[in-house]
Amino acid sequence: MTSPPSSRISWDVQNLLLQLSLCDQPQSIYKLSEQMMGTSNIGSIHISARGQTQSNHYASWSPKDLLRQRQRWEESPACSGAPLGEMSAWTMGARGLDKRGSFFKLIDTIASEIGELKQEMVQTDVSLENGLEPAETHSMVRHKDGGYSEEEDVKTCARDSGYDSLSNRLSILDRLLHTHPIWLQLGLSEEEAAEVLQAQPPGIFLVHKSTKMQKKVLSLRLPCEFGAPLKEFAIKESTYTFSLEGSGISFADLFRLIAFYCISRDVLPFTLKLPYAISTAKSEAQLEELAQMGLNFWSSPADSKPPNPPPPHRPLSSDGVCPASLRQLCLINGVHSIKTRTPSELECSQTNGALCFINPLFLKVHSQDLSGGLKRPSTRTPNANGTERTRSPPPRPPPPAINSLHTSPRLARTETQTSMPETVNHNKHGNVALPGTKPTPIPPPRLKKQASFLEAEGGAKTLSGGRPGAGRELELGTAGSPGGVPPEAAPGDCTRAPPPSSESRPPCHGGRQRLSDMSISTSSSDSLEFDRSMPLFGYEADTNSSLEDYEGESDQETMAPPIKSKKKRSSSFVLPKLVKSQLQKVSGVFSSFMTPEKRMVRRIAELSRDKCTYFGCLVQDYVSFLQENKECHVSSTDMLQTIRQFMTQVKNYLSQSSELDPPIESLIPEDQIDVVLEKAMHKCILKPLKGHVEAMLKDFHMADGSWKQLKENLQLVRQRNPQELGVFAPTPDFVDVEKIKVKFMTMQKMYSPEKKVMLLLRVCKLIYTVMENNSGRMYGADDFLPVLTYVIAQCDMLELDTEIEYMMELLDPSLLHGEGGYYLTSAYGALSLIKNFQEEQAARLLSSETRDTLRQWHKRRTTNRTIPSVDDFQNYLRVAFQEVNSGCTGKTLLVRPYITTEDVCQICAEKFKVGDPEEYSLFLFVDETWQQLAEDTYPQKIKAELHSRPQPHIFHFVYKRIKNDPYGVIFQNGEDDLTTS
Amino acid sequence: MMAIRELKVCLLGDTGVGKSSIVCRFVQDHFDHNISPTIGASFMTKTVPCGNELHKFLIWDTAGQERFHSLAPMYYRGSAAAVIVYDITKQDSFYTLKKWVKELKEHGPENIVMAIAGNKCDLSDIREVPLKDAKEYAESIGAIVVETSAKNAINIEELFQGISRQIPPLDPHENGNNGIKLVKPTSQASRRCC
Repeated sequence: MTSPPSSRISWDVQNLLLQLSLCDQPQSIYKLSEQMMGTSNIGSIHISARGQTQSNHYASWSPKDLLRQRQRWEESPACSGAPLGEMSAWTMGARGLDKRGSFFKLIDTIASEIGELKQEMVQTDVSLENGLEPAETHSMVRHKDGGYSEEEDVKTCARDSGYDSLSNRLSILDRLLHTHPIWLQLGLSEEEAAEVLQAQPPGIFLVHKSTKMQKKVLSLRLPCEFGAPLKEFAIKESTYTFSLEGSGISFADLFRLIAFYCISRDVLPFTLKLPYAISTAKSEAQLEELAQMGLNFWSSPADSKPPNPPPPHRPLSSDGVCPASLRQLCLINGVHSIKTRTPSELECSQTNGALCFINPLFLKVHSQDLSGGLKRPSTRTPNANGTERTRSPPPRPPPPAINSLHTSPRLARTETQTSMPETVNHNKHGNVALPGTKPTPIPPPRLKKQASFLEAEGGAKTLSGGRPGAGRELELGTAGSPGGVPPEAAPGDCTRAPPPSSESRPPCHGGRQRLSDMSISTSSSDSLEFDRSMPLFGYEADTNSSLEDYEGESDQETMAPPIKSKKKRSSSFVLPKLVKSQLQKVSGVFSSFMTPEKRMVRRIAELSRDKCTYFGCLVQDYVSFLQENKECHVSSTDMLQTIRQFMTQVKNYLSQSSELDPPIESLIPEDQIDVVLEKAMHKCILKPLKGHVEAMLKDFHMADGSWKQLKENLQLVRQRNPQELGVFAPTPDFVDVEKIKVKFMTMQKMYSPEKKVMLLLRVCKLIYTVMENNSGRMYGADDFLPVLTYVIAQCDMLELDTEIEYMMELLDPSLLHGEGGYYLTSAYGALSLIKNFQEEQAARLLSSETRDTLRQWHKRRTTNRTIPSVDDFQNYLRVAFQEVNSGCTGKTLLVRPYITTEDVCQICAEKFKVGDPEEYSLFLFVDETWQQLAEDTYPQKIKAELHSRPQPHIFHFVYKRIKNDPYGVIFQNGEDDLTTS
Repeated sequence: MMAIRELKVCLLGDTGVGKSSIVCRFVQDHFDHNISPTIGASFMTKTVPCGNELHKFLIWDTAGQERFHSLAPMYYRGSAAAVIVYDITKQDSFYTLKKWVKELKEHGPENIVMAIAGNKCDLSDIREVPLKDAKEYAESIGAIVVETSAKNAINIEELFQGISRQIPPLDPHENGNNGIKLVKPTSQASRRCC
């Protein structure tokens, strides 16, 4: 009762801003906020931002302003919905602030954070005050949760001190996630949507796609006094977020958006309301049952009305009276004391937990609490309902083994590949160190690259005090090794490319020291501030850190140590099974930080392994087919091309199919869907195929002699000095070349062509840095290409040839015109120059063959972008059947790539019910000529070849009589047979 | 909001005529913070408004030395426009320009917009190529021609504006290059056969 809540809030807000100000990654904020939105489903969220002119600098945004504004709102009578005027003034102000919307993300973040705090305040009060007003508090909370409060429940809440019952309940977000087949009707027209909503009480809504606006819209049923029966609110999709038109609040996905508007009206006339059946459902099973009905829900008896429908939450404006429950909240916030908590007291596990920001100073003061392993008396036990959902999309992480404290690992992570090696390291040490080691402070928030898992562990560690299991393994890793190895150079760590800064880092001693060092060394000397070239690819280079993803990145453990690593490399270190599983649990906790993009990619990857789905079958069949049939491709290009084609087709299928649940449109803004699908394709197709493809590429190059040719010429070129190669700019020295080699080696470990290209770009950037050498001179291609050729020769890596080929053929065609495409072209050019060095010496010209190859490649890769139809799919072939009397019929047959003409003829004979199959054969009609296909040819391959020709050809596969047909024989010209039928 | 259209532009011309200087000048003048900087000067981008569209130039520089000539097709393939640069003080560079034009006509993309830039016009007192020659030649091949000075920022903007104007506005019905063509065979097949 003594200290006002503001102290607590300001503490947290300041920490929040401390973190944000260090953060130059809007993405990270976004990720953070995204998560928090999901957790703060209780309590109304209102926050204001003064219109500040210094826009996109987060630090300039004063916490005090924020606080003042917030308090003002809380004190104002209308605390659940700000008066419309004020609200829109605010949103208007906010809108001007930042073009990229990161400001909104920030608001989102802070809004959620404060909502979260509020939630906790309420809960704390409930437990501490022992039910002075808890019942009312809950009724309010419940009310806001979109349901109709039931007296019964409220009583229960009061009895059990509130906490457990709270986590038992289904959140709005859960309800929305489960029931999207009901309210998310993207296929519905305006008229149909209106029809559905007409029969509904005010507040009920649908999300559908407006054909007029070509956008998703939120259709809201209005009460009769509004004149119109319903109103549509357009949903704006930016690169990363969804928001309502006119509102300044952005959300990571559609579910969160809707959930928010169920609680707060913002730009709406009142809050959204879930249908009675949905808001009162008691379990997920019930929700699922409702969801089964889909659109039929609206006309079914299940959509029954409540006995006495309360009016929708109207704006609490003119009379200035707010419901008692709301006033109650103000009172609580205003009067009750807020207990400051040590980090160990914060219950932060899982999605319902608070996202916490730890003040390092605070930690020092309270560090003894940690070692004591104090826990808050009132614990919230992770419960099955809340956390373990088997059918709930998107996948939730498994229940945590520890109550881990999230120190915002997502903030820290940008593009490192570090997590695994570091983890290995920690565990190794963890096994030797003592359990009771004194805890070290949590590293202060560090937001640049290189931070990753380690920091997250730092967080996990603080909570795990006194708890056995995973927490300890991790804790000891960081804390318990006296004279601990600096993380960057640790034994397990030699597997990755070290940032050049690792050497300049001062030596560290022990956990405490080391951690603080880490936090200081944020300004990396790595000249490749690579982040900025990310936008090239339209999305972040999130190569990073969730354990599972990391594992996915391929066998990094076996990678050779970088030359610079000074510490002895520990030979292959195997994780004990137990540790591994614990790690996975930890990674599960972190995965709750996943962006919608990540969740979607993961979801698709899961689907691709599920043979019960068409998509899963398609992918699995293709992958195993490729692996088992090494002879099915005539050349490396042919192979890569068919893979690329397959990926494009599958992407197309996925974007149209209904197998994804929830639909991708609800999680990913439309302009990002293709990017996300592409990522998913890499994960589910290229990842399993990588090893095979590499082996095959090598075989092909061995067989056609290009491997040998490159090898010989590479030696010749290496002996030349730079000037002889036409280099007239500074060249990288030995150390730089080694750095570049390390990058190339990392590149080899990637399966994603995009990520490979990013590494290539980093190499190019490094070369440029060396060339420019602070001279301020700008070097164009005249200078760059010779240097690149020189560097590639110096690297002496034959594998680069296949790497480049892999990228060139598999990269998403839309990226080929950008910077990635440019430098890829240059690298290919440089390699061709090397390969043809001898010839060039002789003729001073490249072989015309190379020229043709280049030309063909570009033609193929840039002109043939097409949307495939179903029979363009790998496994289908459309065959026309021609009979003299009965004319022509067409059928699409399942024809796999390795099926010969002979087999196709057999299939045709069956399908077209031909009595005398020996009289018939398969013909190709192309360029006005007929060709009878030989028995051992592969129709699918012929089709692929025809498709890949620079000029589109009109062709048909026709099954018809070999002899005695009036249309002549093979190679007969000029007959337009098909029209005669 | 205006639609952004990405246009690949390749730069051709002898080494030393100032290809990359022209681009650097174009990209770096009126520096706009919205432009994401690129790794180096051999690939640069700049977005300029044109009518009701935004044109984002993706500018591909090529190495002008003879020995790299054979790589050029990769660079100019798929280009919406080519800027072919010569040095008004070097007659040879004008001959090379003609070779490039010929090659583009034969192997370049159809309908590629060609722009001829006679660079180093600040050195007109030691000029070897008369403006008249360049103009006549450009007219004969239907190309834009302009004398520029990357050094003094003369006509650089105009050069790219000229290209922008020559780019046909995007027809909403025609989605990209050959998007529809390849699907046709299928529909024709079904129409003919059934």
